[in-house]
Amino acid sequence: MGLVRVLQYACLAVVVLGSIIPLYWIVLNAFRVDSEIAAYPPTFLPRSFTMEHFTSLFEVYGFQQYLINSMLVSTTATAAALVLGVMAAYGMSRFRYRAVRAVGELSLLAYLLPPILVLVPITQILIGNGLGDNRVALAVLYAATLLPFALWILRSYFNGLGIETEEAAMIDGCTRFGAFIRVVLPQALPGIVSTAIFTFNAAWSEYLFASTLMTSNEKLPANPAIFLLMGHMGTESWGLLMAAAITIILPVLVLFFMAQRWLVSGLTEGAVKG
Amino acid sequence: MRTRRSLSDRTLAHLLVAPALVLIGVFAVYPFGVAVLNSFNYVDINTGALTPVGMDNYVALVTDPQIRAAFGRSVYWTVANMVLQVGIGVLIAMLLNLNLRGQRIARVLVLVPYMVPAIVAALVFRFMFNDVTGVVNYALRSLGLIDEPLNWLSDPQLMMPTLVLVNVWKYTPFFVIIVLAKLQTIPRDLYEAVAIDGGGWRHRFTAVTLPSIIPVVIAGMMLRTIWTAYDFDVPFLLSNGGGPSGSAITVPLAIRSLAFEQQQVGVASALAVCTAILLTGALYFYLRGYKRSERSEG
Repeated sequence: MGLVRVLQYACLAVVVLGSIIPLYWIVLNAFRVDSEIAAYPPTFLPRSFTMEHFTSLFEVYGFQQYLINSMLVSTTATAAALVLGVMAAYGMSRFRYRAVRAVGELSLLAYLLPPILVLVPITQILIGNGLGDNRVALAVLYAATLLPFALWILRSYFNGLGIETEEAAMIDGCTRFGAFIRVVLPQALPGIVSTAIFTFNAAWSEYLFASTLMTSNEKLPANPAIFLLMGHMGTESWGLLMAAAITIILPVLVLFFMAQRWLVSGLTEGAVKG
Repeated sequence: MRTRRSLSDRTLAHLLVAPALVLIGVFAVYPFGVAVLNSFNYVDINTGALTPVGMDNYVALVTDPQIRAAFGRSVYWTVANMVLQVGIGVLIAMLLNLNLRGQRIARVLVLVPYMVPAIVAALVFRFMFNDVTGVVNYALRSLGLIDEPLNWLSDPQLMMPTLVLVNVWKYTPFFVIIVLAKLQTIPRDLYEAVAIDGGGWRHRFTAVTLPSIIPVVIAGMMLRTIWTAYDFDVPFLLSNGGGPSGSAITVPLAIRSLAFEQQQVGVASALAVCTAILLTGALYFYLRGYKRSERSEG
C-alpha cells in the first residue's frame, strides 16, 4: 500500500471517529456509575456497568410520559403530513391546472419559511384561540410545517413514475382511485417511507415550538422536558442526562439504520430536484 | 377512453390540493401576514391590541446596539458555517468516493450526526466541552495541542467559534450526501480523458469534479443558508440560552427574547421581516449562480 493510500485510510478513520465519538460518549456515560463519570482524568473505556441512570430517569423523573407525548405528537403529525402530502403531490404531478400549480409554488415558499419567522404570530394565534398548551394543536402545527417538505419530495417521486401503467390500469377498468391504490402507491412506497422517516425525525427533534407553546409539564414532549432533569446551580447528573439522550436518539437512529439506503436517495432528490 | 369516472379531473385535482392549501394558508401565509402587520405596530402582549407606530420598529433595529450585534453574529455564524460545511463536505465526499475498503459502512456512519436531534447534540457537547472536567480539553492537553484549558462555553470570545464547530459537525453530512451522490454519476472516462491529455489530479479536480458538483453545491447552499441563518436550536441550547454576556445571541435568539422576554413583539416582527428580506436577496444571487453553473455544466 502506497503512502497516499495510507493517508487516505487515516483520513477516513478520522472522519468516521469524529462523526461517532459523541455518540460513543453518550452510551459510555449512560451506563457507568457516577464516580467513574466524574473521575479526572477521564477514562475512555467502561469499568463498571449500571442501569441506575435509566431507573432514575423512568422511576424518579417519569420520563416515559414525555417520550409518549413526543411519540403521539410526532406520529400524528407524520401521518397527517403524509396523507395530505400524498394527495396534493399526486394532484400536482398528474394535473396541470393553474390553481394546482399555484399551490405548488406557494408550498415551495412555505418550505423556505423558517419557523422562527412565524413563531410569534403562531403563538399569538394558538394561545389566542385557547390552543396554547394542547398536544393536538402542536401535532397539527407540525403537520403544517412539515407538509411543504413532504409535498415536494413526494411530487418528485410521482413525477418519476411513468403515467403509462396507471393509464393502462384505467383502460382495463380500474377507477382512478383503484389505479392509484394498486399501481401508483406500491411504486412510490420507497419515496413515501423515506419521506415519512424524515418527517417523523423533524417532528421528533423539534424544540422551538414545543418549548414555547407547551406550558404544563405533563404535556411536554421529550426534547424540552430534558430541562426538567437539570439540577439548579449547574449540578447536572451527566449519567441521567446521557440516559435521556439515548431515549431521544434511539427511535431516530433505529429508523435511520433500517432505511438508510432509501434515505440517501430521498434526501438527494429533495435537495437536488426539489 | 376513460371509464367509470364519478368526478371530473378538474374537480378531483382541486380537491386533492385543497387540504394542503388550507393548512399552509393557516400556518404559513396568515402568520407571515400577521408578522408583517405587527412590524408596523406596537403590540400589547396581553390584549393583542395594535397601535400603529409607522417605521419605528425598523428604526429600532438600526439604532439598538444589541440588535446590531446580533446581526453581526448571525452573519459570522452563517458565513462560517457555509464555508466550513461546504469545504469539509466536499473533501469528505471525495474521500468516500475513492473506493476504499470499508467505505460502505463509513458512508452510513458519517451521516449519523445529521440525524442526531439538536438537543442531544447540545447536551453531549456541553458535557464534552466543559471547561474544567471536559474530555475535549483533557484530550487536547494530553496531545500537547494546548497548554491551558480553553473555556469553550464560558469565554465570550470563544462562544461563536464553539457553536460553529458543533453545527459544522451536525450539518456537514448534508453536503457529503448530495455531493457524493453527484460524484457517483460522473463517468469514469471523463477523468481518463483528462489523464490522457497529461492532466494531474489538480487538473482533474478543476476540469471534471468541480464543474459537475457546483450546481448541487449551490442548490444545497441555497437551502442551508436560510436554515442556518434562522437556526435557533443549536445556538440556544448549546449556549444555554444565549451564552455569557449574550455572546451567543444571534438574530433568531434575539427575535424570541424580544418577543417573549422584553415584550417587544413589534420590534421582534420587524427583525424577522427584515432578515427575511435580506435572505431573499441572498437567494436571488444563489439562483443566478445556479443558473450560470448549470449552463456551463451542460
